[in-house]
Amino acid sequence: MLNVDNSQNSIIEMQNVGIRYGQGPEILSDIKLSLKKGSFHFLTGKSGAGKTSLLSMMYLAQKPSRGIVSVFGKNVNFTNRDSLAMLRRKIGVVFQDFRLIDHLSAFDNVALPLRVCGMDEREVRKRVLEILQWVELDKHIQAAASTLSGGEKQRIAIARAVINRPDLLLADEPTGNVDNDIAPKLMKLFVELNKLGTTVVIATHSEKLITDFAFPRLHLQNRGLKIFGPCDASGMRGCHV
Amino acid sequence: MSNQKTFISRHEELPLKGDSTSLFLQIMISIAVFLFAVTLSGVLSINTMLQNWNESILGSLTVQIMPVNHVNRDKAMAETLAHQEKAVEFLGSLPEIEKVTPLNDGQLEKLIQPWLGDGINITDLPMPRIIDVKIKRGAEVDFVKLAAQLAQVTPMASIDNHKLWLNKLIKFADGLKMLAMCILALVIMITSGAIFYTTQTSLGLHGYTIGILHLMGAKDTYVAQQYAKRTAILALEGGLIGLAIAIPTIFGIASLAQQIEGGIISEAKLSFEAWGVILSLPLLASFIAMTTAYYTVKKTLQKMM
Repeated sequence: MLNVDNSQNSIIEMQNVGIRYGQGPEILSDIKLSLKKGSFHFLTGKSGAGKTSLLSMMYLAQKPSRGIVSVFGKNVNFTNRDSLAMLRRKIGVVFQDFRLIDHLSAFDNVALPLRVCGMDEREVRKRVLEILQWVELDKHIQAAASTLSGGEKQRIAIARAVINRPDLLLADEPTGNVDNDIAPKLMKLFVELNKLGTTVVIATHSEKLITDFAFPRLHLQNRGLKIFGPCDASGMRGCHV
Repeated sequence: MSNQKTFISRHEELPLKGDSTSLFLQIMISIAVFLFAVTLSGVLSINTMLQNWNESILGSLTVQIMPVNHVNRDKAMAETLAHQEKAVEFLGSLPEIEKVTPLNDGQLEKLIQPWLGDGINITDLPMPRIIDVKIKRGAEVDFVKLAAQLAQVTPMASIDNHKLWLNKLIKFADGLKMLAMCILALVIMITSGAIFYTTQTSLGLHGYTIGILHLMGAKDTYVAQQYAKRTAILALEGGLIGLAIAIPTIFGIASLAQQIEGGIISEAKLSFEAWGVILSLPLLASFIAMTTAYYTVKKTLQKMM
């Protein structure tokens, strides 16, 4: 099984995890997963398959209805609020709906993860200007997030997710709204971060992305999780459950 | 980088300033501080009065010389004054007594003026004479024995040590004080409750932003501190407004009270310490509001993941 073991290098461990909303049926059932430190995975599945729910457990926005989820070796069911906050600081998330704070400028939105950690403002300024230049938004540093286009918002969301050099990067359709010439550049950023040791999980519908970048795939289907090996141009290989 | 020198303004992550609950909170706190200041000044004044009255009970007594009945008015007056003179002489000789002051006609007229009006000639009336006696500080007087001794000096004299009516007055003032204290407690409770619910409403309004802050790794204290800071400023501003209205009100009430003659209400003056407490109310309100907001946020956020 790819990257599925109980080694101490696991960033995320899930055992018999199920998730349901209210009294409804389980969206995900008996999920078993172990993501090794430094791994890179795509997360795929049809709309409504539970990709966002699985990601939300990974970024600690949601606890499982049953089973055990451990992030950075801590069982989230037995971790107090302050410790959860400290764990979230190691996680960068790119949300499908960006989740920017509309009244804040591009600069302030990107600076959020640094400021909540109490970083010195000079260092914040240096890092934020650098990343904004990299995502080609240095001309919009003072623009309110609400005035930016979808693609610009997505780049801000990505810049915010990576600004803190996270140990775990989770991205929900990160290239969905950006131009074709920007998408490979952003993917290269994720790959570079991965090479530096960041564990990456990218939820996507894009077959092109999956075939262009040969990384294993977590596939959600029928409330369960299957793990496939890296794809090549000829299709998928190495199916594992 | 070209933008290194650019001035970048920082906006508050939680836009609490433009929050619709802010104005309500400010008005609420200004009213609370106004009520608190006026009521507190009442309590402190009553305290001063009670102290003065207590000192009066311990430190003085009144001797009354009943008027002598006689067909000849002048003779009756002369005999009454003679009895008064004897009593003054006797009282002045006692070691426990500090000062003996017989009230003159003018003072007596002033005493009965509220009941009989202006233009009264006291010599036309069978008025008892009054002697104000001040007892030395710490001296113990046996009033029963003194009354008996005085009766031997002059049978027309009787002693009133004020205890009966002053005790009733003190009980009444104590009741007023308790009532005022209850009002103060109620004002604090209502204000804290308003801050609690206003903060909760605001948390609901900013739930989306708070959610994002949490996902970025913000601890509850990070959010709570922003609320505490904003609420403290709002409360301080509201408190200063409330105090600015309360001060002329207190002076107005004091001025009205001083128009009541008789020396009871006019004793209700505020000390420098009392003014110090009243003037520090906006700071106190700010502190209470800040603490309430801080713990409300912490408690409410506990319910989120």
